[in-house]
Amino acid sequence: MSSEPGIWLAAFLTLAIYSFLYKDNPVYRFAESLLIGVSVGFLLVVAFDSTILPKALEPLGKSFGDILNGGAKSILGFIWVLIPVALGLLMFARFVRGWAWMSRIALALYIGFGAGASIPANMQSFILSQIKASLMPFLSIDTVWGAINAVMVIVGLVSTLFYFFFSKAHTGNFGRVAKLGTYFLMVFFGATFGYTVMARISLLIGRLTFLMRDWLGLIT
Amino acid sequence: MAMLVQFFVPSKLSRTAYNEITNWAQIIYAFALIVGVFGLLKYHSEKVARRNNGWVYNLITIASLAIMAVLGFAYGRGDSSPFMWAFNYIQAPMQASVFSLLSFFVASAAYRGFTARNMEAVLLLLSAVFIMFGIASIGNAIPIFSDIANWILLNPSMTARRGIYIGIGLGTIATALRVILGVERTYLGKE
Amino acid sequence: MDFWLKVRHIDRRIIFLLMALGVAVPLVMRIGLPVRVTRDVSSVFNYIENLKEGDILLFSYDHDTGTLPEMVPMSTALLRHAFSKNLKIIGMALRAEGNAIGRQAFKRVGDEFGKVEGSDYVFLGYRPEMTATILGLGTSVERVFPRDDRGVSVSDIPLMQNVHNYGDIALVVSISDDDTPVYWINYGNARYQVKVAPAITAVMATTFFPFLNSGQAVGMIAGLKGAAEYEKLINKEEMASRGMDAQSIAHLVVIGFIIVGNMAYFATRKRGQG
Repeated sequence: MSSEPGIWLAAFLTLAIYSFLYKDNPVYRFAESLLIGVSVGFLLVVAFDSTILPKALEPLGKSFGDILNGGAKSILGFIWVLIPVALGLLMFARFVRGWAWMSRIALALYIGFGAGASIPANMQSFILSQIKASLMPFLSIDTVWGAINAVMVIVGLVSTLFYFFFSKAHTGNFGRVAKLGTYFLMVFFGATFGYTVMARISLLIGRLTFLMRDWLGLIT
Repeated sequence: MAMLVQFFVPSKLSRTAYNEITNWAQIIYAFALIVGVFGLLKYHSEKVARRNNGWVYNLITIASLAIMAVLGFAYGRGDSSPFMWAFNYIQAPMQASVFSLLSFFVASAAYRGFTARNMEAVLLLLSAVFIMFGIASIGNAIPIFSDIANWILLNPSMTARRGIYIGIGLGTIATALRVILGVERTYLGKE
Repeated sequence: MDFWLKVRHIDRRIIFLLMALGVAVPLVMRIGLPVRVTRDVSSVFNYIENLKEGDILLFSYDHDTGTLPEMVPMSTALLRHAFSKNLKIIGMALRAEGNAIGRQAFKRVGDEFGKVEGSDYVFLGYRPEMTATILGLGTSVERVFPRDDRGVSVSDIPLMQNVHNYGDIALVVSISDDDTPVYWINYGNARYQVKVAPAITAVMATTFFPFLNSGQAVGMIAGLKGAAEYEKLINKEEMASRGMDAQSIAHLVVIGFIIVGNMAYFATRKRGQG
């Protein structure tokens, strides 16, 4: 059994979380509240220390120092560094009634950035590369089984896309193809569920290993 | 628009604009995280002030957030700092435990909800069972199950996912164009 | 009360207990089931194995503490492989918690191999906003990370003297518990042709098979099983391999629940019950 206070605290908190399996109780709710507070506090420190300080405040301080030493050119440099900081600070305006609209300026720039960057990326990565990969197997078919798989991939891809086309009612032949797409999707969801079970069990293995090995010393 | 144009026009001006915009996006995002923290504090503070049901738990959240922030800013983030001690022995174990709770609920859901009611459910069930059996070491001991699982993953399952990706790609491009052209403004909130 | 009706409406806490036993008992009593290495994991291994001494890898810790039991064995095995081949490693994080996890992993495994921070590896720190970070690294690493996580200026770090952008990086390994590797593929690989290998939690495995098939990802390490396969490849079977017995038995328990649940469903449905 461990004699380290940190291990005992971690074990207590682990069991506090697991107490929820029996029923909701104050110990679990205490642990849950503690987790939220600690996690957000962690994020606050790391976000400030890692990004705001070196990329915003320090360059701002440095360029302000340049103004005191230099001339007009330094002022331009300071303004250029000030712009993103000002936009970031504007986001706090959402907490002030009547001024909340100012936070939209920074939000608009950020959303616009994401929209512009996503178009070529999605076109290349999600559409062109995937269509190419679906057709390429036809150039190198050397077995019957390979041919069956290649045809099945195309049939599955087209029928799945038919399913997601909601502008037309899924009736008649269109509906039949969409139904086939549904079957492919069900196979995908089943596979995802299988992997999800694996993932969650792995996490349980990790916690039980901690409790049985690090805390109680039952396993080596 | 600048991000889209510069992809096709790699001039010095467009590269400079690209570099500055990516830099600004990181800074704005970091401030947005801080705004989120303040939003959380505001929410919990109001609950404490109004003495809502369970306000003690809101107070615990605020107190633990404040303590963690003070530890981080006052003592730094070094490996042997109190901040990292709290991370290693409070945050990490609890978060891992919360996620591991899901394994129990997945088992319960599999027992109660995973029934072969129709053709779709049968396909979902069979796929899940073959994958669970095939990817685990017990399936590796019987290679045929491992091969079946691999075939499912690399063919029908992969195909459906590919169809989803193409759909996502088309949808994202359409939405992005609507945002750039000003047609889509819901991200700005209420007018 | 009818037997099958009782089975159908069994208290879920019994299910929880059986699940816990299904995992705990094999942890104590080893069975020693085999681990078969899959093509996806061996692709990543072979890619790193074929790199030359001094080549540079970028490890991005894009996960939080909720998935530590899966991610730590994976990242440890990868670091051990890379350090054993005297490759240089740059660490970074796109998640705040990943920053602490990655830094600790680098220190722990680096000390194991006698590696020196600054010369053999460097941990640059956390950056929010994935898209901007991934795109920014394509033009200038120093612009995105002017300092490393210790606060040392990147221009003063020996390892970083010859690292300017993706052109100097042989492989990006995104150790993630969500779809962050998709961003690496979309923005890093699609635009800058940097090689990407997702090392992910098993939940996300099915997400990446299309990218493996299209060659947009070098390979994939998924979940604790993927970590166990990698441990087998580097001949250091440890945390992940130990858990494979428990993994298998727990899977059988869940399959058993599904079978019994269906039996109870059909038995009670026929009688118009449940």
